[in-house]
Amino acid sequence: MNAILEIRGLRKQFGGVTALSGVDLSIDEGEILGVVGPNGSGKTTLFNVVTGVYKPTAGAVTWHGRDITGLVAHEVSGAGIAHTFQQAMAFPGLPVFENVQIACEHARKSARPYPWTTPDALLDFVGLSELAHERAGILPFGSLRLLGIALALATRPSLILLDEPAAGLNDRETQTLVGLVKQFPQHGISVCVIDHDMKLMQMLCRRLVVLDFGSKIADGLIHDVLNDPKVLEVYLGGVL
Amino acid sequence: MKASHTMKNRASPFASLLPALLVIGVLVLVPALGPSNRTLSLAISAGINIVALYGLAVLFGQTGILSMGHAALVGVGAYVAAILARDAGIGFWVALPLGSLLAAVAAAIVGVPSLRVSGHHFVIMTFAFGQLLAIVLTNGGDFTGAATGLDLQLPVTWFGRDAGELVPYYFIVVAFVAISAIASWAIINSSYGRTLRAIRENEKLAASLGINVGRHKIGAFVVSGLFAGVSGVLLAYFFRHISPNQFSSFPSIYLALMVMIGGARLLLGPIAGGILVSFLPEMLNLDPVESRILYGVCLIAVILLLPNGLIAGLLQGLQAIVKAAFGSRAETPAAGANNASGARR
Ligand SMILES: Nc1ncnc2c1ncn2[C@@H]1O[C@H](COP(=O)(O)OP(=O)(O)O)[C@@H](O)[C@H]1O
Ligand SMILES: [Mg+2]
Repeated sequence: MNAILEIRGLRKQFGGVTALSGVDLSIDEGEILGVVGPNGSGKTTLFNVVTGVYKPTAGAVTWHGRDITGLVAHEVSGAGIAHTFQQAMAFPGLPVFENVQIACEHARKSARPYPWTTPDALLDFVGLSELAHERAGILPFGSLRLLGIALALATRPSLILLDEPAAGLNDRETQTLVGLVKQFPQHGISVCVIDHDMKLMQMLCRRLVVLDFGSKIADGLIHDVLNDPKVLEVYLGGVL
Repeated sequence: MKASHTMKNRASPFASLLPALLVIGVLVLVPALGPSNRTLSLAISAGINIVALYGLAVLFGQTGILSMGHAALVGVGAYVAAILARDAGIGFWVALPLGSLLAAVAAAIVGVPSLRVSGHHFVIMTFAFGQLLAIVLTNGGDFTGAATGLDLQLPVTWFGRDAGELVPYYFIVVAFVAISAIASWAIINSSYGRTLRAIRENEKLAASLGINVGRHKIGAFVVSGLFAGVSGVLLAYFFRHISPNQFSSFPSIYLALMVMIGGARLLLGPIAGGILVSFLPEMLNLDPVESRILYGVCLIAVILLLPNGLIAGLLQGLQAIVKAAFGSRAETPAAGANNASGARR
């Protein structure tokens, strides 16, 4: 397999709190990688450091062989890594259509063909066409999450990082989400997804990574990881 | 369905320009009503403020950044006009673009260090810049005329004829109000305007979508400086005498107040705010202290009661009345809600 993103020894400290203590991780081309871990184990921080929301304390991030450590958020987006937020985000005061239009207008130039290059195509893909002229601020939570996906796709990424995309969604909405995300790899978009829902992870991923207290404690095929005694101990029969 | 989205997005922008053009059309007719010189003078200074307010509306209304030192940028335009006239004999029409450009450069010089920090720091930095400029002008010796300021004697001509009298100068100012309104409308409806709104709505999300937030904030401040510079040149050639205190913190606060009272996100907002704040003390026959108190009360009332400004508040009130009058029927078509949200950008 061909790694597109390589993370080496990534550390992030917030004052005295060590959110990441030297994480190694690689994401392969075309895969959907899952990341799980208890609350506060550093999953969101991992995304934030890779996408330039925070600068890492130490470590390196390599993207297609290029060192992108410490790039700021808009540069990371321009390099082809998109990202959705754990707290679903939009431009609340603007119409849904304009939300996506803005994202499309700032899409990076990419030689690869994308199936969704216009706001209409993106809204159609995530099923929000009917709500195109509503203010994003009044959308129900599930629609807001889908809008977040449309915004991320609009940037024409080749990797998309999804932070708890199914949190707060009902079963039907979760099924819709799975249907969408499963299509990404065939369009050349690799995925890394954080979630607590193991059923969701089993539907989406072949490979699973487990974080605990800012360290990676397991990394492998999902079936093996879920039977790993170390992982079972962390979850102590809780979420699993 | 798809076609209707694009249709609607194409049709609506012109509709949003019409009310502003209509009001400006009415303003053009004012001299025909035989107003007093006092009224016409007030109208001219209101118009000069409105030009600056359109820039402030791009900054505050679209980008969500408040400048509390905006009069200083107006001052750059005014002093450029006066100094060019005195030292180089350069007149009104050449001073306009030069004053505008130099005010924009001043905005860039202030903006680059200030906009790296957060919004609150920026407000304080602009305020400090306003104070600093007043100090520099006061201590600038003969070059800036120190505390006394500068006189401006070159005539304003318009198609070869003198245009320094009240009525022709009024028309020139109204023309610049129209240009400012159209420029502001063009910005609001462009990809650039959408980018600024994205920053206003959610900086973190904007950055994650590839928007260089810092650069665009500085850009918006520079654009607002272009408007402020034009306003300054118009001001210098109207008053014929300028001094540092015209561009200190109080005038800056008045500008911020005007844009908030009128409503920074609506195309009519700057016109409404500029006219109201300029004429209200006169109409109520208030002395300067009383009018400052009135402005303070107005500001608090607007922030608390009409956060989107007077015009948006009036529109909302009208909508509520229509809704009440026509009962639930007015509530069913989704179009009503859409228009309201579309108007308030
Ligand atoms: N901006 C921040 N400032 C201070 N501490 C933070 C910040 N972001 C995260 N942390 C801390 O880092 C640790 C990891 O948090 P996070 O990455 O959000 O975990 P997860 O997403 O796995 O629940 C937590 O202890 C959290 O309190
Ligand atoms: Mg998290």
